[in-house]
Amino acid sequence: MRTIPLSIIKYVHAWWMSELILTYLHIDHDGVLVSWGGHPRHYGLFNLETNKDAIEQIPFLEGFLPARYTEIIEFIKVGSGRTAHIHLVPFRGGTWVLLFDATAEHDRQQRMQQQLNELSILTYRQTRLLQELETVAKQLQTDKVHLEEIAKNKGQLISNLSHELRTPLTSIASYSRLLEDTSNQDYVLNVKSNANHLLALIDNILDQTQLESGNITLQVGNCDPRLLLKELRTIFAPLASEKKLTLALQATSQLPFTLIVDELRLRQILINLLNNAIKFTISGKVSLILDWQQSNLMFEVTDTGKGISPDALEKIFLPYHRETNQQNGVGLGLAITKQLVELMGGEIRVKSMLNEGTTFSGFISTHTGMRYDNDEDADISSQNIKVLLAEDTRSTHLLLVTYLKESGYTVLSAYNGAEAIALAESEQPEIVLMDMQMPIMDGYSATRTLRERDFKSPIIALSASDLIEDREAALRAGCSHYLRKPVALDILLNIIKVLQA
Amino acid sequence: MAIILKKICMIGDFSVGKTSLVSRYVQQSFSDKYLTTVGVKIDTKLVTLPDQRQAKLSLWDIAGSDTLTSASMSYLRGAAGYLLVVDGTRRPTWDAALQLRDAVTKQIGAKPNILLLNKADLTEQWEVNDALVSQEREQGSTILKSSAKLGMGVEDAFTLLTLRMLDAN
Repeated sequence: MRTIPLSIIKYVHAWWMSELILTYLHIDHDGVLVSWGGHPRHYGLFNLETNKDAIEQIPFLEGFLPARYTEIIEFIKVGSGRTAHIHLVPFRGGTWVLLFDATAEHDRQQRMQQQLNELSILTYRQTRLLQELETVAKQLQTDKVHLEEIAKNKGQLISNLSHELRTPLTSIASYSRLLEDTSNQDYVLNVKSNANHLLALIDNILDQTQLESGNITLQVGNCDPRLLLKELRTIFAPLASEKKLTLALQATSQLPFTLIVDELRLRQILINLLNNAIKFTISGKVSLILDWQQSNLMFEVTDTGKGISPDALEKIFLPYHRETNQQNGVGLGLAITKQLVELMGGEIRVKSMLNEGTTFSGFISTHTGMRYDNDEDADISSQNIKVLLAEDTRSTHLLLVTYLKESGYTVLSAYNGAEAIALAESEQPEIVLMDMQMPIMDGYSATRTLRERDFKSPIIALSASDLIEDREAALRAGCSHYLRKPVALDILLNIIKVLQA
Repeated sequence: MAIILKKICMIGDFSVGKTSLVSRYVQQSFSDKYLTTVGVKIDTKLVTLPDQRQAKLSLWDIAGSDTLTSASMSYLRGAAGYLLVVDGTRRPTWDAALQLRDAVTKQIGAKPNILLLNKADLTEQWEVNDALVSQEREQGSTILKSSAKLGMGVEDAFTLLTLRMLDAN
């Protein structure tokens, strides 16, 4: 066997020792550095002093002294020194600390670990991105469906609307032509009914738009529900009698005489329900009962009409929904009704049997108001009742005067606020109809002045504005009621009757 | 007055910024380059506290992991307190920190600690939400936000921990 020459062994030993850079520290049982050797500087340990506390000089020894058994702490790097594996060997109550260079192994492991960690972070970020993409994709899909739905509804609306506007407009045009030649009362009625239909349609669309955008606020005030029933009877009795239907509008004895509620909206709800009931009933009866239970106004509209199929019942309150294309309207009436009922803190339900009839019932949250005596059946005469009409638009003025005179009222005419004040003071009319927008002095100022001068009669504001602010301004100025133009004459007469009572 | 020596461990998942926090605290420097720590890196810093007490901190920057390895268990020996570091942009590092805290307590007992929500310069990418933080604070945890990159909250965290370690004596 050939031996390795001594010079080669010495070379290998020197190289090995230098690679290891062996360093040792001897610490006694009191933790004092007894001696040291090798190259502590390589490991970040400078200015070691023997016979002094070891831990203060060698920070990695904290918690490890004295060693009870041989222990290896791997990969310790102090400051900018090299990395070491540290061997703690107990010896006669003290500890020998041997430091072996582990820089090469440390660097190798670091490269591996670095790759693993970077990969792990990359995977994590990628997963998160994919999750985000998925969420965004889902959201986009939902938005897309939503937008398609909106587009479909809008398209449907426009198509229905065009159709709905076209039919009555054609009719109005035709009848107007006929009117040029004759003054047939039926033609006039037809023009009136078609014009009213158009107005109702447009009002519905406006209401739905406002409800969708949350722009409707309730205008709560005193309301006499029995008077409301009377008004409804005035509106629907002709229609019902035309179709030979029995119309029963009733109030139970529990119903208070005054409710604190938005009367305009309550009226709208009941008109919508009654209108539908009469529209879809060929023979039999349409009834409305108003009741009072647990501080709620209960309503129930029942008809003996053709009924609604279970499938259709599910969609009945959806906006723009129409069961058949033969149906009039754009499918907003019941959607608006439901939204209004809910806005008034109530609920509405529907029950129906095909060929037997339908019942819409529900409640709205309200309060009772001050009770006042009201003789329901008193036939209030319009004889000798003076109505002051302040209205600058000649056509409107004339129309109202004609109508009021036909109904037996004495009409005093004013064309601006100043004239209205003068006439009100000299003639003391029982009722004043006050247009809000007039030259010289508007209705607001005139009303305010009259109230300041202690004028007591009711003043009904007439205004083309649907703005809540305008309504409030009129009421603040001292008006008793607010009617939007064009004024439904039957409602106006009803209000006058109520007020003069 | 004798200078008190205190050992502080930096604990948390990998790449949360433990090394950067120490580097910001000791050398006032920051590097965007990520270099993973293997084993433990020890730095020392002499601090003068607001009450003029002095302490020599031995800062043990332990290799990041979501669990306590046998190596890190030995590094924990003699620690007087620790900073639990979380990368605010990676929610799993928050969960890891809470688990590590339990493991550390089992290993060396209850010691003063502060949970550091690091990378506060990237709050727009944060996955650790305020609700989580408030809930944990209600349990009595001390949670501070920091950015080693901007130097935000770093000094405060170490000072507070040091005060708590000294007061725990």
